[in-house]
Amino acid sequence: MTGVMLWGVGTSQYRLQPEKRVEELAWTAIAEAVADAGIQPWQIEAIVVGTVFGPPGVATRVQRGLGLPGVPMWTVENACASGTSAYHEAVEAVRRGRFGCVLVLGVDQMSTLFSGAIVPEATDPEGASSLPLPGLYALQAQRYMQEFGVTPEQLAAIAVKNKRNGLDNPRAQLRDKAPTIEEVLSSRMIAEPLTFLQCCPTTDGAGAVIVGRERNNPNDLRIEASAMVSGALWDHRSPDVWGYASVARAAEQAYEQAGRSPAEIDVLEVHDAFTIGEIITLEALGLAPRGKGAELAPSGHTARDGAQPVNPSGGLLSRGHPLGGTGTAQIAEIAWQLRGTAGARQVARHRVGLVETMGGGAAGMDGNACVVTILSVP
Amino acid sequence: MSELGVGRPTKRRPGAAVGGLPVADPRPVLDGAGADAAVVGLRCTQCRYPVPQRRIPWCPVCYGSVAEARFATTGIAWSSTVVQIAVGGRKPPFALAYLDLDDGPRVLVHLAEPAVVPIGTRLRITGTDDGDLVAEVAA
Ligand SMILES: [Zn+2]
Repeated sequence: MTGVMLWGVGTSQYRLQPEKRVEELAWTAIAEAVADAGIQPWQIEAIVVGTVFGPPGVATRVQRGLGLPGVPMWTVENACASGTSAYHEAVEAVRRGRFGCVLVLGVDQMSTLFSGAIVPEATDPEGASSLPLPGLYALQAQRYMQEFGVTPEQLAAIAVKNKRNGLDNPRAQLRDKAPTIEEVLSSRMIAEPLTFLQCCPTTDGAGAVIVGRERNNPNDLRIEASAMVSGALWDHRSPDVWGYASVARAAEQAYEQAGRSPAEIDVLEVHDAFTIGEIITLEALGLAPRGKGAELAPSGHTARDGAQPVNPSGGLLSRGHPLGGTGTAQIAEIAWQLRGTAGARQVARHRVGLVETMGGGAAGMDGNACVVTILSVP
Repeated sequence: MSELGVGRPTKRRPGAAVGGLPVADPRPVLDGAGADAAVVGLRCTQCRYPVPQRRIPWCPVCYGSVAEARFATTGIAWSSTVVQIAVGGRKPPFALAYLDLDDGPRVLVHLAEPAVVPIGTRLRITGTDDGDLVAEVAA
């Protein structure tokens, strides 16, 4: 893919902020992204919004404050991958020459809907049977532990790494302290083997990304690849745990577009809603063979000062997870890392970055959708 | 809800268990009892792919036509977990498992005992609880 650039990024704080209107979260992120891109609002030619819980009409209520009457606008929903799905559509639109500058917004305000874990969707066969999302991931973790000998300590190491990274992220929700392995394991059990500190918190937030055509601005980053896949059947025939295959499909496309191998990626932001998720995802992204992904955090490979830092922002485990607002926050972190402006979180090698978001929860499918994008310093 | 919501408008999600309105039941159905008990669903007339739900338009694997089928209530556990939080009307602890039915589809079941079982454990669906399939370790 040539000629599509990331112009600017911005985010709100990631916090419980039910006292704010959801539009306010969006406007904060958009204003920062517009300033970061160095453009005027009227240069925006189209808007793509990713949100799961909306509410319906949120895109228009946001637009009302932007002064962009009549611009083409879409709202997309792909579970946790909604924000990156919106981004993918914007990238494709610019790549095909339809627009020269597109605003992407990912937003969700969870605190006004749920007081704890997300209530499973009543129209879903497994949701109706009271399978919560941590339960779905716990089933994969149990399978992994029994099939590959993955230990609770290896799972906990993901939480320790990401929550330590998050201490340096002023926009992350959880910044009190970084727990030890023992503290992670002794925190309240949610769904065996996943304890409370292995689950991302409920959060409100918005992230905005502006993508556009090439324009010779030294601040811009090259979008080498963007791949989006929807789910495929996950059933009794499937050789892999749930979620693996959808990430692998998107990753294969992205690496091919970029002409890169997994070893060439300097820094990653991936979907760690639950600790086991980061392990499965890194295997699907090719950073480790199947069954070996659990070794990446304990060995230091994915630490901020490791060979391939993963979730230097603190990930969803620290930042929190406002579903639609997650993907665009991941892209913002990679943009700051690649530009070398990530402050205390800055990783040493930052030429090529990767973002992965996998959304799921529909029974019998290996994901609702997965997006993988690769960015680089031009 | 938290104190934060007091005095302000609130939103509702579908589902009677959380204060919303009822929806059509999407769960797999157990039909009959004892030796005649079966999980009912659909099977492809071409490739025999089994589906634990009804009214899908064609086989999602080969696009062949599907016909009603009765699946065994026995199979092996693919994985299981014990949930330790309340979910909807469910109080913790409760155990869930993916059960690969013999010559049938993978279904999510509740386990009669709140304990993780080794993968490959033989399970049998023995009934339902508030519409959820319930399985126990086969003797
Ligand atoms: Zn078929």
